[in-house]
Amino acid sequence: MNAGDGRPAFEEAQRELEQIVERLERGDVGLDELTTLWERGEELYRVCAEQLSSAEGRIEELAQRAEDT
Amino acid sequence: MSGAKVEATEVDGRRVYSVRAFNQGVATWLQRLPTVWVEGEVTELRRQARWATVFFTLKDPESGACLSAQMPRGTFDALRLDLVDGERVHVYGRPELFEQRGDFRLRVLSIERYGAGAHLAALERLKQRLAAEGLFAAERKRPLPRIPRLVGLVTGNDAAAKRDVLSGIVQRFPPAHVLVAETYVQGPRAAVTVTTAIRDLCARGADVIVLARGGGSFDDLLPFSDERVVRAVAGCPVPVVSAVGHEQDTPLCDLAADVRASTPSAAARLVVPDLAELRSRLDRARKALERNARRACSRHAERVERAHERLRRAPLLALERKRARLDKAHGRLLALSPRATLERGYAIVRAGDTIVRTPPAAGTAIAVDVADGTFGARVE
Repeated sequence: MNAGDGRPAFEEAQRELEQIVERLERGDVGLDELTTLWERGEELYRVCAEQLSSAEGRIEELAQRAEDT
Repeated sequence: MSGAKVEATEVDGRRVYSVRAFNQGVATWLQRLPTVWVEGEVTELRRQARWATVFFTLKDPESGACLSAQMPRGTFDALRLDLVDGERVHVYGRPELFEQRGDFRLRVLSIERYGAGAHLAALERLKQRLAAEGLFAAERKRPLPRIPRLVGLVTGNDAAAKRDVLSGIVQRFPPAHVLVAETYVQGPRAAVTVTTAIRDLCARGADVIVLARGGGSFDDLLPFSDERVVRAVAGCPVPVVSAVGHEQDTPLCDLAADVRASTPSAAARLVVPDLAELRSRLDRARKALERNARRACSRHAERVERAHERLRRAPLLALERKRARLDKAHGRLLALSPRATLERGYAIVRAGDTIVRTPPAAGTAIAVDVADGTFGARVE
């Protein structure tokens, strides 16, 4: 699933995002680290969301093609 | 012997022959007789691996009349008759006199089993022998390929069986590849050509073999019970479907085959799948695939959104928690401050930044902290 262009694979990104959320919720994070982690989390969310919508688009495309054959 | 001169001597006015000359004479005369077919029952069959000749007696079942017969062992074995005493046969041969002993016997050139009963008995013996070897065992049966790459069809040329198999295959599965080997399907050459065809088709990449022959007389179907054919079927590296004769016939190749088909059309149904059905199954699978892909995608999306939602709230939550902790610390800090003491009426006197602990010089400006505030003063 690794896109091969340095972006993390979806599963990896998702896992890291969830780990960050858990750490933040646990609250054992330094104040300066808090914002860094949050930014990282948002970044990972964006990566996941992009990959999901591109997968959804691809599924639509394939379904359409299957419909046409 | 022929051409040897048979001479008699004159003794007291008689023409007298020596035994040797007499036998020679008779032998020479016998040689002029034609080669004929003789029918009888085989008895006293003597065949031994170290003997060059097989001996037996041909007996007339009605009168009991006997005729000694002999045949070269190689020729006898090549017939693969698997004869036993008591079998009815037709023997093709010439009468001959064994000169040294004066024995009269039939020099046999060929033997054919005669009568369905005898054939059946021979077939039954072969069947028992091959069954004992395990050639027909159920655990030897192999499944047919689901979609064969190349179907090898062994059949007679221009036979209805061939047409039935081919049209059946093409109807069900138009993209099928079939390689046809046309062979003799009856008569003395059938067994060898069928055996060769099976090997040949395997060598050319067939991954399933169909043996197809329409109905025929008992004798017509005999090659499909020939030991060579049965062994070729059992030993075939790929599965074999046998469709030989009609439902009630059971040639031995049917028993050795992996699957038996009642007719050539049934064989076609067995070796290839129905393309239309395959297509609709594939279609259903494709729809399910699409459905599952969408479902998986939305499950992932939900999970990511949930994580995102929590992420949104997490920093504020963390800050609030930090603030609460800070406030708590602050509270404890306050508790420790001198303020409480001031409330009780004490005051703190500072000169500049220093708390006054010894009386300062007169005129020094001081600041006094009391509970409700601070005021300035000057020392007198």
